[in-house]
Amino acid sequence: MSLLDVENVTMQFGGLTAVKDFNLRLEKGEIVALIGPNGAGKTTAFNTITGVYKPTKGRITFKGKNITGLRPDQITRLGIARTFQNIRLFKDLSVLDNVLIANHVHIKSNFMEAVLKLPGYRKEERAMRQKSLMLLEKVGLADLKDEKSNSLPYGKQRRLEIARALATDPTVLLLDEPAAGMNPKEAEDLTHFIRQIRDEYNLTIFMIEHHMDVVMEISQRIYVLDYGVTIAHGSPVEIQNNQRVIEAYLGVEENA
Amino acid sequence: MNKKRNAILTIISILLLALFLVYANNFLDIYVVRILNVCAIYTILGLSLNLVNGFTGLFSLGHAGFMAVGAYTTALLTMSPAVKKQIFYMAPLIKPLDAITLPFPAALIAGGVLAALAAYIIGAPTLRLKGDYLAIATLGFGEIIRVIFTNTQNITNGALGLKGIPATTNLWWSFGTAAFTLVVLMSLINSSYGRALKAIREDEIAAESMGVSLFFHKNLSFIIGAFFAGIGGGLLGNLLGTIDPKQFNFLFTFNILLIVVLGGMGSFTGTIISAFIITIANEVLRFLDESIDLGFIVFNGKLGLRAVVFSALLMVVVLFYSQGLMGTSEFSWDRLFDKSRWGRIFQRKPLEKGGTDQ
Repeated sequence: MSLLDVENVTMQFGGLTAVKDFNLRLEKGEIVALIGPNGAGKTTAFNTITGVYKPTKGRITFKGKNITGLRPDQITRLGIARTFQNIRLFKDLSVLDNVLIANHVHIKSNFMEAVLKLPGYRKEERAMRQKSLMLLEKVGLADLKDEKSNSLPYGKQRRLEIARALATDPTVLLLDEPAAGMNPKEAEDLTHFIRQIRDEYNLTIFMIEHHMDVVMEISQRIYVLDYGVTIAHGSPVEIQNNQRVIEAYLGVEENA
Repeated sequence: MNKKRNAILTIISILLLALFLVYANNFLDIYVVRILNVCAIYTILGLSLNLVNGFTGLFSLGHAGFMAVGAYTTALLTMSPAVKKQIFYMAPLIKPLDAITLPFPAALIAGGVLAALAAYIIGAPTLRLKGDYLAIATLGFGEIIRVIFTNTQNITNGALGLKGIPATTNLWWSFGTAAFTLVVLMSLINSSYGRALKAIREDEIAAESMGVSLFFHKNLSFIIGAFFAGIGGGLLGNLLGTIDPKQFNFLFTFNILLIVVLGGMGSFTGTIISAFIITIANEVLRFLDESIDLGFIVFNGKLGLRAVVFSALLMVVVLFYSQGLMGTSEFSWDRLFDKSRWGRIFQRKPLEKGGTDQ
């Protein structure tokens, strides 16, 4: 049994089918990429897995449990975390607070204990802070912990988003265009970073990415979407030589 | 060292406030004491509305409804059976209520709990709405409460209102409750649950994806806000001595909203400062409603001119100073003694670090 199983998921918005019969299997420890031209439905596929959208049809199983139609917070609690294509940090809050909020999902004390600052809650709060600082250290933002998150430069905001996602203790991490807007050197660093966190936190990573260097370098398998349909699936080498993928990206040659 | 200094300053301030209250209680005239009471009660109402509007980002306008629930509950539970019999002459008060009299604190808590219950009932369906839609739904709820209270003759005495409510509220009750409210809400906001509320304000989608249950936390904020609004309403009823449904119309919510916006959405200390400013200004500007005789010319007073001043003030704040007095920061001794900060303010130098001044 796979860790995450997406079976025949279809997502329709009125008459528009954004994703059609999407199938995905993630095995533990894999890094898998989802690519496709703009508007192919990649982010929609993400949103159905994380519960932002409820799929019109199909079934999503995570660790053997049916999670179709659960709310995003319930899915996060089960161990699927994500980042966003257009960075969605808590802008007016500090860098540290951004990561602390993600710890809230596993809190055991109820709000009364938190208001009264009972010993059980204090202990939890201390542990949360320690863990958050460690994560910030990991992504190299520890010395910026008190800055407002929207005052960080773009690249650091991306890393903060990853730290925040890691703070929910995920098993599966979904990255939505983590290398967007990065230069080749930064993209290369990111590749190492993703491998590193995968090994360190025993993650399984599923990512949407446009940087082909990153995708080909890092992923074991690749899914290709075009107009909501999965047109190819295979290893990087297979995908690079797949005629339909080339057509989707470069267009079809007119034959007289 | 700063910590020690801050603790000492805090203790001194509290002692000074207590001394002032003793002085006010014994030597100031009833009119001033009453204004101080109203200041403290408006502080409670402002704090509770700020939790919902400022910290959780839920634009709720139903606060007057929760105050009404608290005010009526507390009043009905503290009035003596004889008084109740006397004022309910259109229709007698329903059974157990007509004989019950509870001590003031118990009645206050009962008012808060009932307001919280009302918030739970209204919150479950309406908190799915966002922005303006939530504002309209909660506004409607406030009006519904008012209409219900006008028409349930045998519980609320309808439009006649309640009279002869024991005037139990004094400076100790009002300021004590305000301090209690502040401590509880501050503690909540600085806890993990408070961070979750702020996350919802900043970005609902991101908050939900980070595992914050929107339904639970929005309801939590709404219910706690309503609880303190109910307690504030109870204090107000037992200060004024008479309440009727008309008092708790939308304008009341508007007044509290003005306090919150002026003080800064997301700043409790800002709310306290502006609650005092607004309440005192409301009394100082009373001359606007009366005729002004300048000797050579007489301006005829127009009833409601004060409201015009406050509306203009609100417009100015929203247009030019949308952060309010305090923005989202809180008062602290460190801030007060931070010389470089004052230097910056007076010399208009840009911030040194990080460019947070956007």
